[in-house]
Amino acid sequence: MASLILSPAEQDFIIRGVESGLRADGRGSLDRREVSLRTGMISQANGSARCRIGNLGVGTDVLVGVKAEVNTWAPGEPEDVGSVVCNVECSPSAAQEFEGRGAEEINVELTQLLDRIFNGPQSGIDLKKLCIIPKQAYWVLHIDALVLDVKGNIVDTLVWATRAALLSTSLPRVVVETIADEMGNMQAEFDVVDDPEDLTPLEGTERLPISVTFSQIGKRYVVDASEQEEAVAQARITVAVSPAMEICAIQKGGILRGFPPSLLSEILQTAQRIAREELTRFGTHYSQAERQLASQAEEPNTGSTFLVTF
Amino acid sequence: MASNVFDRRRINGPQRSVEPLYTAKAAEPFANGRLDGRALDQVRPIFIKTGPLDAQSPSASAPSGSAYYEQGKIRVSCAIYGPRQGRQSNARMGSFDCDFKYAPFSCSWRLSHIKSSDEKEIALMLEHAIGPAIRLEAYPKASIDAFVTVIESDGKAATIAAAINCISAALADAGIELYDSVAACSMSMYGTQWVSDCSQAEENASTCSLLVSRMPSVDEITYLLQHGKTTPEMTTQAIQACSNDCTRVYAVICRYLQATLE
Repeated sequence: MASLILSPAEQDFIIRGVESGLRADGRGSLDRREVSLRTGMISQANGSARCRIGNLGVGTDVLVGVKAEVNTWAPGEPEDVGSVVCNVECSPSAAQEFEGRGAEEINVELTQLLDRIFNGPQSGIDLKKLCIIPKQAYWVLHIDALVLDVKGNIVDTLVWATRAALLSTSLPRVVVETIADEMGNMQAEFDVVDDPEDLTPLEGTERLPISVTFSQIGKRYVVDASEQEEAVAQARITVAVSPAMEICAIQKGGILRGFPPSLLSEILQTAQRIAREELTRFGTHYSQAERQLASQAEEPNTGSTFLVTF
Repeated sequence: MASNVFDRRRINGPQRSVEPLYTAKAAEPFANGRLDGRALDQVRPIFIKTGPLDAQSPSASAPSGSAYYEQGKIRVSCAIYGPRQGRQSNARMGSFDCDFKYAPFSCSWRLSHIKSSDEKEIALMLEHAIGPAIRLEAYPKASIDAFVTVIESDGKAATIAAAINCISAALADAGIELYDSVAACSMSMYGTQWVSDCSQAEENASTCSLLVSRMPSVDEITYLLQHGKTTPEMTTQAIQACSNDCTRVYAVICRYLQATLE
């Protein structure tokens, strides 16, 4: 991705290290760097999260905001479901090559990947619940991701952040009423309740998938490649796994090599195992954080959340 | 939210429209076999021709290789330019770039002349699928470009697979050094049944699709894409089945390429 130029000696050092199970920062081949997640940091969005994967405060940094909008139904669209729209933007603050139109290709690639994982029934989000009135109005969830820093493994950071943002997303309540017009026909109308306290969380978020990205280096593969490792990686494969251990999406990237089929089936199994571990860890951390937040709610709020009164 | 403000200068249509009642329901793809009578694992008939765009006399502006590929209703053409002077003058390896475009009339709906993000992504997929087959280290400082035009499409995944097959035939025509030709095939899932090489009508009804491209004689999967949810067992089974289909498509491509040499 970000092009880091390494000398042949450095490349050789990384490749041989990985092949003998050693990595430059001391991790095992299937270990992740430190993951830090914060949710609810953007007051204007319906859900938001910032995820950083990397040690010692340096790492790939992604900020995701989820904004819900009411859309009017147009002929040709599905009748009784809402929709999800993904967009990824790599900021020039992450790498100089993202300046101007330099990030265009990577933006398209990441947007489509995010779309493949989160848009559709495989994401677990209950799209039927996002419909307000069939053939009239529905919710659109705009998932906008901003890549602030790139230090390897941009895909997983993006998926983790999006997952956390969707978990923290809540929509305003909608009141639907049926009234008769002058012709006597029954018409449904709706009203979005404008009360910042009256929110319902998004449904189906317990089924959101998590992704594991493998980078092929030499004859082996590693999880969560660092920037240096990514510069010598020949291929990358992302596997999205749902909590029910179903495979939600697979995508291969990288122009230099393919995967032998035997390595591929090994990767699929490893992805499942890692996803299971990470989902339990993520789940416990998330509920702990929720509880902490709930206990803080008693204290006067001096934080970043504020309301503009008209 | 119906507004009651009328513009009296215009003739106003009714505020709400009702869909017409259709007498016949859309046909179920697998109620009695497939729509076109194929077996579930049968790939549509393939036609390949290399060199339709090559110049009769050598000229600098003609492509160095080209191919035309048909698979059922899908029609794809591809031109290869290069190896030619690359952008980076100090590159250790050559670069391979793809350009993918649907013709505006290629789908059931009209497409724009401007490249959509979908087309940009497919171009990237093609680069990732074909790249591993090219001996890029044999072309330092050079660039090889493939330009793919879809004349007619029938099934998105199948069209991408057809584009991959078309590029590999065109690369062979251009005389680019390859490890092996890449062959690709797609599959869609209905319930618990995998079906090979689906048309658009069949793809619309599916829950999951898979695209595999591989180099059969090196036994390497160069590209893998799954869209939709399955169990790991189903995925493994499909990758296996798709790989077998790729081998069959590969045989067709190779037989044609051999015939052109004789």
